[in-house]
Amino acid sequence: MTALSVRGLTHAYAGTPVLRAVDLDVQPGQVVAVVGPSGAGKTTLFRCLTRLVRADAGVLEVFGADLQQLEGSALRDARRELGLVFQSYNLVRRLSALQNVLVGRLADVPAWRVVLRRFPVAEQDLAARCLDQVGLLAFAHTRADRLSGGQQQRVAIARVLASRARVVLADEPVASLDPASASAVLAALRSLATDHGKAVVCSLHQVDLVAGFADRVVGLRDGRVVLDLPADRFDAATARDLYSRTPERTSA
Amino acid sequence: MTDVQERSGVGLTTMPPRPARSLRARASRWLLILTGLAFFVACLRLADVDPVELAEGLPTLAGWLVQAFPPSTEALPTLLLRAAETVAIAVVGTAFAVVLALPLCVLAARSTTPSGWVRVPVRLFLNGLRGVDAFVFALLFVAAVGLGPFAGVLGIALHTWGSMGKLFSESIEALPSGPLEAAELTGAGRVKTASFTLLPDVLPSISGIGLYLLEFNIRASTVLGVVGAGGIGQELKNAVDLLAFPRLATILLVILVMVTLVDQLSGRLRKALA
Repeated sequence: MTALSVRGLTHAYAGTPVLRAVDLDVQPGQVVAVVGPSGAGKTTLFRCLTRLVRADAGVLEVFGADLQQLEGSALRDARRELGLVFQSYNLVRRLSALQNVLVGRLADVPAWRVVLRRFPVAEQDLAARCLDQVGLLAFAHTRADRLSGGQQQRVAIARVLASRARVVLADEPVASLDPASASAVLAALRSLATDHGKAVVCSLHQVDLVAGFADRVVGLRDGRVVLDLPADRFDAATARDLYSRTPERTSA
Repeated sequence: MTDVQERSGVGLTTMPPRPARSLRARASRWLLILTGLAFFVACLRLADVDPVELAEGLPTLAGWLVQAFPPSTEALPTLLLRAAETVAIAVVGTAFAVVLALPLCVLAARSTTPSGWVRVPVRLFLNGLRGVDAFVFALLFVAAVGLGPFAGVLGIALHTWGSMGKLFSESIEALPSGPLEAAELTGAGRVKTASFTLLPDVLPSISGIGLYLLEFNIRASTVLGVVGAGGIGQELKNAVDLLAFPRLATILLVILVMVTLVDQLSGRLRKALA
């Protein structure tokens, strides 16, 4: 079953079209990189995919449930399939790495246990294993704001791993990281797909990071999908075309 | 300066002239100044400000000052007990306010309660409480529960509930919304997300606000006794009524020392928290 299926997603801000009929399919275990120049609509696409913003038109199916049509508690349930990785990490600064991973488990832990910070041993064990997956078990009890940016982003990935999400949306996850941290973060994202069968959609603005990370590349320009290629066919010339000012359609 | 000018050949003289203010802008500026002045003069009249009366009253005040020396020490133990009562009123009242304000501040903050149907009435309620001074509440409670410090506690608690709820909700709104959004996406309910992702980050600022309001309430509690709501204010009123100036001087000194100590202590604690 297709994990994420987007058809004709269209959105405008104050009359200015930002997304024009975007189509996108992502399978479980697949990593799709979304690239394109600034202002192409990458951020809006991600806000619409998470339903933080409701797109004006289109279909947004997550494992067959159309998020566009859902409201209230049905929407809340359907969104549990989504895991978000943000450019700004969005960890609770004054909680430990382990506690931040446990945030991914909140829905399945009774409220009194959350309030008293008494998580069941099984949940703590699961969180510890998720931290181990991203190579940060040694930092389990370190406060989030004491970790480096790359480490914080890997904790955020462990948080997604701990949650029930089967579709991971990462909006510019390495935009503020140095190259070494960036590749560690992308490796952790890659492993979400390869080792855990999650569908990963990740926007990047450094096109050279695509190789060895993504299975497919989707290029956005002016709110349109202008290319959709297997990652090994996304070469320097194609990238230059995408970012050049004169629009020159490229497609698979 | 001259170096730059010589090298680049530009300066004030070559800067484009400042755009002239329009006649309308100048007229409305003068109108604003004149209206402000007229308002202040009207206020002076309404407030019965009369320098002559002040001058005539000064000798009386000076006479009292002379009579107040030396401050009496015979009632010091009673006064210290009353001062402790004042601190107790403020501490208990503020503590009640914390318990009442914590759940409501979540409902009053935009980031945690996007729906206006809940948030706006909660804000109105908090603003209403904040709008009535603790002194006024105490006046009402003295009539309802009788004379004594408990009426003061209730007055402080209700007024502080309003201020604290508002300030707490503002510090929630100042937090980045990302961690909360990430937690809400897991489908966890409001109580769990707020207590686990919001509380740790907001705790330093709300404890600072709590201490500040406690400090403020200790000052506010010193006058509650005037309406019969307990504390050192009651002694203050008695001393003024009986024209017992040496005793009045002692009371004022006790208040001064108490307030200074609390300010210092609270300031230090808040610095440690920041």
